[in-house]
Amino acid sequence: MATDLLLFYLFGAIAAGASLLVVLGRNPMHSVLLLIVSFAALAAIYIGLEAPFAAVVQIIIYAGAIMVLFLFVVMLLNAHREDDAAPPAGVTSGPLRAGGVLAVLLVAELVWALRRAARGGDALLSAGPGADPAALQSVRALGNRLFTEHSLAFEVTSILIIVAMVGAVVLARRES
Amino acid sequence: MPIYVAQLGMVLAVFVMLLLSAAVMVYSERKVAAFIQQRYGPYLVGPRGLLQPIADVIKLMFKEPLRPVAADTAIFFLAPILSATAAFAAFAVVPFGAESTFFGLLDEPIKLQVADVNVAVLVVFAITSISVYGIVLAGWSSNSKYSLLGALRSASQMISYELSYGMALAGALVLAGSLSLTDIVNAQQGAWFGFIPRWFVFVQPLGFAIFMIAGVAETNRAPFDFPEAEQELVAGYHTEYSSTAFMMFFLAEYINMVTAAAVAANLFLGGWHGPFLPEYLGWIWFLAKTAAILFFYIWMRWTLPRLRYDQLMQFGWKVLLPLAALNLIVTAAGVIYFGN
Amino acid sequence: MVPLGHYLILSAVLFATGTMGVFLRRNVITVLLSIEVMLNAVNLAFIAFGRTLGSVDGQVIMFFVVTVAAAEAAIGLALVIALFRHRESLNPDVFTSLKW
Repeated sequence: MATDLLLFYLFGAIAAGASLLVVLGRNPMHSVLLLIVSFAALAAIYIGLEAPFAAVVQIIIYAGAIMVLFLFVVMLLNAHREDDAAPPAGVTSGPLRAGGVLAVLLVAELVWALRRAARGGDALLSAGPGADPAALQSVRALGNRLFTEHSLAFEVTSILIIVAMVGAVVLARRES
Repeated sequence: MPIYVAQLGMVLAVFVMLLLSAAVMVYSERKVAAFIQQRYGPYLVGPRGLLQPIADVIKLMFKEPLRPVAADTAIFFLAPILSATAAFAAFAVVPFGAESTFFGLLDEPIKLQVADVNVAVLVVFAITSISVYGIVLAGWSSNSKYSLLGALRSASQMISYELSYGMALAGALVLAGSLSLTDIVNAQQGAWFGFIPRWFVFVQPLGFAIFMIAGVAETNRAPFDFPEAEQELVAGYHTEYSSTAFMMFFLAEYINMVTAAAVAANLFLGGWHGPFLPEYLGWIWFLAKTAAILFFYIWMRWTLPRLRYDQLMQFGWKVLLPLAALNLIVTAAGVIYFGN
Repeated sequence: MVPLGHYLILSAVLFATGTMGVFLRRNVITVLLSIEVMLNAVNLAFIAFGRTLGSVDGQVIMFFVVTVAAAEAAIGLALVIALFRHRESLNPDVFTSLKW
């Protein structure tokens, strides 16, 4: 049982570390690549959570499609580095520092709130019949759920995708 | 022999098999090409030129590894490694035979497969989508215009055809009612009317055709080999690569072909099921089917001329994708109507 | 079995990292990447809760989040391209005028 904890720490550390480097990195290309590493680590964690389908979706859609889009834009714009020059007049570094402080506060707040939730969850886990891994892993169950209970949401999402597609084409088109 | 030793042996066996298959593919590609063009092909190294791939490998390894001055060093070295790793990893979930004890050598039968995953088809798909990065990063990090153009073409081509590829294989998934490659193969056991094998290709001819075409585009082969169109782009994304790094791209390309063919054989041609042979010799059927598909790939490359790039995109989005969607809808309706 | 709290804390750390990126960075592309990090943190929490409650709904919601992320990335990057064409910059502070 200790191995899954060990694996969680390994992949969790990779995900957290890579995400931090994404945010701090100066080269957008490296940021994009590190984010893919973070996604892959999260996919490994999903497998540990009895969610192989989620793990595969994470890789196919996030790493395989969305990140390629980012990569394309970074390659096409060819803006290798962020300007380290001073921000334009009217923008002081105060708000930027405030962002850092805010993030630290957010961590503290989230950890506090989630620890309470986790205590409830673990109590549930030890009291209840426990989740059946086979039922959780089943793609069939997921599909049934998606196309019955959540069918309206599913249809709305498809409209969202079409709107986004048309919108992206209109926005990125060169005016002739 | 304990089971984990057997499984480790299986990992090693698949690795060596893939390496060998790449060598065999290089040789047969040159021989078939020569046959089609009425030449001899390699014939000097070894009997009938059989040792030519080994000579090629040695030649490549002793070449000087070059790196463009303006290249992004880390990514430039990472790209070929990523390509080769993804190529090997994709085969891990592909089964190539029924369960076997190797003639009583093992206490319990093991699967002829590295890992039996219940979402195997999607895993192959996911790893294929990762392999785009090897190409894109190679093109970008070389900092050369030919490489960049090749990479851009390759990425847009692979993403466009991935959709048709996925939708075409969804037909087979619907018929088998599973995402596991082993289950899909086993759903194709037996025969209709006693003589037509229950292979999905007979109920899914359109799906199979789309899958094959999209597979050619996915593996960047002629007539869809735009990423490395010699006449326009020198060598596309690997223009700036030499020596071992180049070899890795080469290896990845051939292994990707083998994987695509093996997946096609499993999904549509019944994998290791077939008439005349007992179950434990099923891998012979599997090899024969994979080899036939690979031969078809080579045949196509040396017969058909390259399309134009905009034609390729038009074909993918406006012909192949609607057809694949139609195929999926008809298949799903059929499964509901006939109750499988 | 890894306790739920571990997953939630990792999720919190990722979310905060993403928030920090959105506030601190002056490159539109990195800001968009930070938003992706935040969405992933949320996904992780959903799936961890789903496992604990023995329901696939966590994965279903993750599926929707991924779809929304795809739409967001497409629109966001289209905007980035349009903005870059006009201002030759990726710094969000440069885009201050309502009309040009």
